[in-house]
Amino acid sequence: MRRVNIWSMAMLVLIVASGTALLWGRPLIVGRLMLPATSLAAAGGMSAALCGLGLVTSLRRQCRFLIQFIETTDLDRRTSSAGEVAPTLGPLGRSIDGLLDRVADMTERVTGRVKELEIHLKVATAERQHAQAVLYSLSDAVLVTDLFDEVVLANESAARTLEFDLKRSRRSPVDRVLDDEDLVAMIRDMRKSDSHGGKRIVEHKITSPAGEKTYKVTLSCVPGTEGEVGGVVAVLHDVTREREVAEMKNDFVSSVSHELRTPLASIHAYVEMLIDGEARDEKTAQEFYEIIRTEAQRLGRLIDNILNISRIESGLVKVNKQPQSLTVVMKDAIEVIAPQARLKGLSIVEKLTPVFYQTRADKDMLYQAVLNLLSNAVKYTPQGGTITVETEVDEAHGRVVGRIRDTGAGIPPKDLPFVFDKFYRVEANNHMAKGTGLGLSLVRHIIETVHQGRIVVDSQVGKGSCFGFELELCK
Amino acid sequence: MTLLSTDAAVASSARKILVVDDESHILHVVSLKLRNAGFTVVTGSDGQEGLDLAHSELPDLIITDFQMPQLSGLELCRRLRQEPATSHIRAIMLTARGYQLGPQDAEQSGIRRMLSKPFSPRHLLATVNEVLNEAA
Repeated sequence: MRRVNIWSMAMLVLIVASGTALLWGRPLIVGRLMLPATSLAAAGGMSAALCGLGLVTSLRRQCRFLIQFIETTDLDRRTSSAGEVAPTLGPLGRSIDGLLDRVADMTERVTGRVKELEIHLKVATAERQHAQAVLYSLSDAVLVTDLFDEVVLANESAARTLEFDLKRSRRSPVDRVLDDEDLVAMIRDMRKSDSHGGKRIVEHKITSPAGEKTYKVTLSCVPGTEGEVGGVVAVLHDVTREREVAEMKNDFVSSVSHELRTPLASIHAYVEMLIDGEARDEKTAQEFYEIIRTEAQRLGRLIDNILNISRIESGLVKVNKQPQSLTVVMKDAIEVIAPQARLKGLSIVEKLTPVFYQTRADKDMLYQAVLNLLSNAVKYTPQGGTITVETEVDEAHGRVVGRIRDTGAGIPPKDLPFVFDKFYRVEANNHMAKGTGLGLSLVRHIIETVHQGRIVVDSQVGKGSCFGFELELCK
Repeated sequence: MTLLSTDAAVASSARKILVVDDESHILHVVSLKLRNAGFTVVTGSDGQEGLDLAHSELPDLIITDFQMPQLSGLELCRRLRQEPATSHIRAIMLTARGYQLGPQDAEQSGIRRMLSKPFSPRHLLATVNEVLNEAA
């Protein structure tokens, strides 16, 4: 093995390093020392002068050896083997050992850092996906624009509600993405308003082929990196149904007040007439008293019906379901209505099944429903007509069916779908009887809401109507 | 009979009033009050009947309900206003709806007053006299 002149090698390393440093124009870092390129170059030049050309041959040899040594050295192994092979390389071997230790240490630290960053990346990716999933799962439409009014983020609901292509929308000017000029103006105004952390809530209507919908649009500013307004978030919440319900409630209250005022108006007027002595004789006065009494009763019935419907609708009513015979309930109701029917010369025909068949029902409510149907039959059937009360048992399907059939005025086809609606009255038959427009609504609630049954109506103008309902048979 | 209605009876002899309402008790009580005060009264129980009677009877004044089958009280008054033979007929609306009449509706229908139910027959009679004494 050849002896290596350490000085020659050091010179060689310096010359090579200075050349490289000059070439790159950067300082050379050796351990923690930073040697400027120019000083390295100067040192290199001086060494060359000292050693002279005689050293060149030796340097060449040693260079080859060094290259061979570096190429064959396993970095994981200690370089002391180099020292063993070439004892003069001892100090170099030790410094290479030190360098390798530092490299290994740095590699370990870098690997650790890389792993740490990988974990951070995974967490960030998961969080981003989670946020995206939340955004996409929102039924509210979300649209985010930047400082230049370009769409930076939108969810599927936004694309559906505002009818645009989600994929093409990114980075497109909002006025090109949305056809809705009013909404574009709202977003622009919000961005220009420069209100940090400010919020605006606007009610906005959007018309599509499916119809008009009402949205509550919440606009908020997104802060930019330097505290300026960086963009706008628009969230559109569909309030169509809420508005409809509010309108229905308003209509209901308005109808109730109208219905309550009507009998009250009669009572009020007749009482004043009596006070003012407008009833000229006792017979007229008696007539007034009777009107006041019937109108007061009407008012009471109306209030009862409204309260019952409201209790059933809100689920507040106490339901006491026991096995009952529909036939018994029908008979009880017929007994109560019979005097009125007789007065009008109507005959009541009973076609009832044995009382043995039972249904689980709240007796009072079921009785009320049957009585309302019978009372309607009496009201809307002219003199001499017939009311047929039937029960039928369908054991195969586990059902009991009740029917109240009359030979009355009948209901025009246009009114049929609405007869169970609150306050709906069949105009054509209005003159035949006073009504609250709540009786049938209550019947439907009792049969369908309280007893999970089904009610149907079949009618022909001039021939009569048939109201039928089905309830579950007790096993 | 009260002093007020006696006076009114003298002042309003031969004046004809059409009362239109789908509530028979209201028709009854209003017409009784007016007849006792000396007016001639005709009654109709829905908007269409009211329209027909207005044409045939040519009353000096109409007292009508707002919400009625066939034809609303407002529509009835509008139609009468449009026709030369009946355009002069003044109207009072008697309604259970909390309904406010806009100036345009008032102009187009010739409705001079709105009274809400429950109402006082005494007050109604005073309003009738007031409207009949107003300049056309």
